[in-house]
Amino acid sequence: MITLTHYLILSGILFSLGIIGVLRRKNLLMLFFSTEILLNAVNVGFVAVSKYYGDLSGQFFALFIISIAASEVAVGLGLLVLWYKRSGTIDLDSLQMMKG
Amino acid sequence: MEHILSLIVFFPLIAMFFGFVISKDSVKTFGIAVALVEFIFSIILWIGFDAGNAGFQFVEYAPLISQFGVNYYLGVDGISLFLVVLSTLMTLVSLISLNIKKDIKNLVLAILFLEMTLVGVFLSLDMILFYIFWELSLIPMLYIIGAWGSGQRIYAAIKFFLYTFAGSALMLVGILYLGYQYYLATGTWSFSIPDWHLLVLPFHTQLWLFGAFFVDFAVKVPMFPFHTWLPYAHGQAPTVGSVLLAAVMLKMGTYAFIRFSLPFFPDASVYFLYPIAVIAIIMVIYAAMVAYAQEDMKQVIAYSSISHMGIIILGTFAMNAEGITGSIFLMLSHGIVSGALFMLVGVIYDRRHTKMIDEFGGLATVMPRYATIFGILMMAAVGLPLTIGFVGEFLSLLGFYAVNPYMAFLAGTGIILGAVYMLVLYKRAFFGKLVKQENKDLKDLDKREFTALIPLVALVIILGVYPKPVLTTIDMSVKKMINLMERKALLPETKELLVRVNKVGGTK
Amino acid sequence: MEKYLYVALFAPLAGALFSLLFTAQKKNVITALVTSGLLLISFVSSLTLMFAVHDGLTLHVKMMGWISAGNLSLPYGFIVDNVSVVMMVTVTLVSAVVNIYSMGYMMHDKSYNRFFTYISMFVFSMLILVMSDNFVGLFIGWEGVGLCSYLLIGFWYEKESASWAGNEAFIMNRVADLGMLMGLFLIYWQFGTFSYDEIFAHVGSVNTGIVTTIGLLLFVGAMGKSAQFPFHTWLADAMEGPTPVSALIHAATMVTAGVYLVIRASDLFSLVPEVGHIIATLGAFVAVFAASMALVHRDLKKIIAYSTLSQLGYMFVAAGLGAYWIALFHLMTHAFFKSLLFLGAGNIMHAMDDELDIKKMGGLFKVMPYTAILMAIASVALCGVYPFAGFFSKDAILASAFNGGNFYIWFTLFIGAGMTAFYSFRLIMLVFFGDKVYKKLGFHPHETYPFVLWALLPLGILSTIAGFFEHPFEEFVTKVLDKYEFSMAHSTEIGLIFLTSAFVIIVIVATIYKYAKGGFSKQLETMPLYLLLKNQYYIPKIYEEVIFKPYYALSKFAWKQIDVRIIDFTVDLIAKTLYKTGQESRKMQSGNLSDMLRWMVVGIVVLLALAIFYRPMM
Repeated sequence: MITLTHYLILSGILFSLGIIGVLRRKNLLMLFFSTEILLNAVNVGFVAVSKYYGDLSGQFFALFIISIAASEVAVGLGLLVLWYKRSGTIDLDSLQMMKG
Repeated sequence: MEHILSLIVFFPLIAMFFGFVISKDSVKTFGIAVALVEFIFSIILWIGFDAGNAGFQFVEYAPLISQFGVNYYLGVDGISLFLVVLSTLMTLVSLISLNIKKDIKNLVLAILFLEMTLVGVFLSLDMILFYIFWELSLIPMLYIIGAWGSGQRIYAAIKFFLYTFAGSALMLVGILYLGYQYYLATGTWSFSIPDWHLLVLPFHTQLWLFGAFFVDFAVKVPMFPFHTWLPYAHGQAPTVGSVLLAAVMLKMGTYAFIRFSLPFFPDASVYFLYPIAVIAIIMVIYAAMVAYAQEDMKQVIAYSSISHMGIIILGTFAMNAEGITGSIFLMLSHGIVSGALFMLVGVIYDRRHTKMIDEFGGLATVMPRYATIFGILMMAAVGLPLTIGFVGEFLSLLGFYAVNPYMAFLAGTGIILGAVYMLVLYKRAFFGKLVKQENKDLKDLDKREFTALIPLVALVIILGVYPKPVLTTIDMSVKKMINLMERKALLPETKELLVRVNKVGGTK
Repeated sequence: MEKYLYVALFAPLAGALFSLLFTAQKKNVITALVTSGLLLISFVSSLTLMFAVHDGLTLHVKMMGWISAGNLSLPYGFIVDNVSVVMMVTVTLVSAVVNIYSMGYMMHDKSYNRFFTYISMFVFSMLILVMSDNFVGLFIGWEGVGLCSYLLIGFWYEKESASWAGNEAFIMNRVADLGMLMGLFLIYWQFGTFSYDEIFAHVGSVNTGIVTTIGLLLFVGAMGKSAQFPFHTWLADAMEGPTPVSALIHAATMVTAGVYLVIRASDLFSLVPEVGHIIATLGAFVAVFAASMALVHRDLKKIIAYSTLSQLGYMFVAAGLGAYWIALFHLMTHAFFKSLLFLGAGNIMHAMDDELDIKKMGGLFKVMPYTAILMAIASVALCGVYPFAGFFSKDAILASAFNGGNFYIWFTLFIGAGMTAFYSFRLIMLVFFGDKVYKKLGFHPHETYPFVLWALLPLGILSTIAGFFEHPFEEFVTKVLDKYEFSMAHSTEIGLIFLTSAFVIIVIVATIYKYAKGGFSKQLETMPLYLLLKNQYYIPKIYEEVIFKPYYALSKFAWKQIDVRIIDFTVDLIAKTLYKTGQESRKMQSGNLSDMLRWMVVGIVVLLALAIFYRPMM
């Protein structure tokens, strides 16, 4: 039997994977993937809890997140392509213009 | 007479805007004229003031943010009346004595702006309005010290600003919380001071709020150990800055104690009475000692201010009409005397470009008039009877004696130590042989300096000989406030103390 | 009669204000003439008042309000009764004489006008002190005379020692004034008023402990003004001032203000005999203590100053033992002969170009016979030889000590009388007789102006005859003051008088004989006792080492170490820490996206932790 706990554990594992990716990856593309994983980890949690309580708002929220993630990726990838054209790299450490 | 308070508050501001188009050469005259008119307004206010009415008079009221009870609310009573007159007088006198040439226009306009904020602080009956003026007053002073000061002027200005500003932040939290408490108690929002005077707070809330207000006022006064900004500010400020700082701005703190701390939090005030009295006594003695050790004339007077403010605090916390009336009178007298003394130091600084006591000696020979005026003001500063200094000091100590004789005795040593540093300063600067070549042909006071100083000297003597009209006016409002405290007091200890210190002919 | 009161009080003030206008100008005889005239007017008014008071009048006026706050309402009130009128007459008489004398003495001084301003100001303050009907009024005068004393001691301000002595006098008086101020506060919170009448009317119903405290505190104030031990050092140093000032302020009037205070508050002091006893004991101690220092001193003015101190001790004995009228009587006679003595000394100083060392004089009788005679009269009066003034007043004090059973006080005073005789005639002999030392030193002394001598004449006459007014005086002042009953047998009294007089005369004769023979040998001057006396028991030195220097060191410490090193340092430390934190945390903002992401994760973790573990108290 797959219970809520299993879903939440899965969500937790995905979230941790995403976090590690955000922390460790230097490639901007990989960073996007990591953030997607993070978002989807949350989605899994939302849907699971929504099902558990029988409350649909969690699933609404998950749909929202999916659409936002999609638009974010669209804008983000656009910027990334632009950046690649300008600097020839998508390495994170090349972005140092905000040094305080 | 209907809108006289608004007129007094905003006249300098309006005049300031006109000042921008006045030419540089005539701006000082313009400033004097404005300050004179403002002073006349304040005198008219005094004349129109009903000395038989202890409550707020000439009240003006207009809602600003009505849903939160923030209003434009002005009023004057016996406690604030003379502080307003003092502010306008000292502004006028300091403008007359002004002889800075650099950027004179900005300076005069800054002083006028400062005047507006000072008068506003004393006349506001709304806490938010009060807070606005209270904070605004820092800006012109920051500018005056930072732009026309000497030596480490930027350091001094920033220290002054940040120190006092940090205190105010805490007070703002206190004000908002108190407003919220008022809302909880009554169901309506109000930030008006007379409303808050009627609010009875639980003892614990009082303690916290008292603390929040105390820190700000203590920095402003300044009380030991929050006083170290003062010597820097005075040391670097131009004469006009020192005069206004010592004469009026320090009084904002002690005024706030009387206006807010005592009637808002009577129980907390009594609860913290002894710790505050100890601090005040430390201020009196410690500052007098430090003043004695100074080598710079201006610093002597700066530290002597701290010492005198200690006595004012003590009078305030005497919790009886003698002490509080005395402390308000002492504020006036200290304002006039220390302002005049700073001006006198400025006179010699203009001539010699030094304030070090050792650079002088024997000045009485070349500058007899200067020495005479300095002497009179020195005697007022050490509290000689029939000068203005005696009345307030006597009443403050008299009042505190009812609270605790031993502490009054310790604070009374201030009259000895005050004589020590003042007389030694006078002796080193004015007496002895004139040895330094540079001092041989110093000029005595000129007409401008005389015009500024003579009114102050006259006041020192007139109010010393006949302070009664001023005292009775103050006393009436003070009595009303003490009544209020007695009515509001929650704890039996508070009631008992208030009754004890206000009773004459006890058997102790 | 009220107008006489106001004239007497305000004529000196008018004089002071008039001559104030001339202070910054060159010498102008008009100031001296006007002030002298106004002081004489004041004297005449006081005298008129005295006759009126003698006829049973008591003037009590409230001029105008002064301070009112809380329950306190304090007007300027003045009272002229049997006690204050005696003081008024004494003060105005001596001051008028001194003022006229000073016209000669200060003739060549460049601050001529300023001097007369101060003198008149002093007289005004002294009259306020004497005439006030309440303790705070008295305190106004009390501080006012202190101010004038400060100004006049430091009159020649270019002299370092003079301005130092002025400061010392003012500050030491302030120390004592603090005691007095505390006494006033206690009075206020007990009685709710400062007025003499109301206080003395209710003083009987107040707890004795409190009355004792009030008495002691007031007496501390009196000790300062009357330079009693341990506040006595200022009086000797006050001799830096011009000699007329020493005569007026530091002999005749101001220093007796302490005695006057005790007399004025006699209703209060008579309730607490223990305090009176302390006063009397201290007085007796000072009488001998000061006289002993006068024995060896070589400074003309300081000898007389110590003699003043010793005589003040006598007055305090009488006042402490309840013989108030005797104290007042001695106060008055002493004012006459002591100011005469000082003014005579002033003549000598003038003649000797301000030389003060009596060993450098000698044989001056030939050149200044009138001064010599006047000073001899004053000295005899001081020693208490019949029929001069001092005989009556001083013997009455000795008798009252004996009468009260305080034999040790009596004996101390008896010894003191012998010492007085010795130092007075040592001075007379060394100055006016013997070898003419001054000739070798190149001085050319001369007698002073005749008008100055004429001005001294009234004092000379009064020093001679004032004693015969003892009984009228007693009758006059005991209308207000308590009577003092002698309980001992009349024969004992006569015996005592005889004993004292004989002792004094023997000492005088012995002194004259000894100094006529050439005085004491030089060897005595190396004795430890001599050195002890010569150095004033090392008390000024002790004050210097134990109080002045440590206080300065402590002040420096408070400033340099506590204020700058600790408090300001802490304040700056807070500011610096904040600034440093900013500097350090600036590095976080490296601009590197992966660093930012890491910080973001840290933030998320912290927020999550807060969300999980923080439970706000509801």
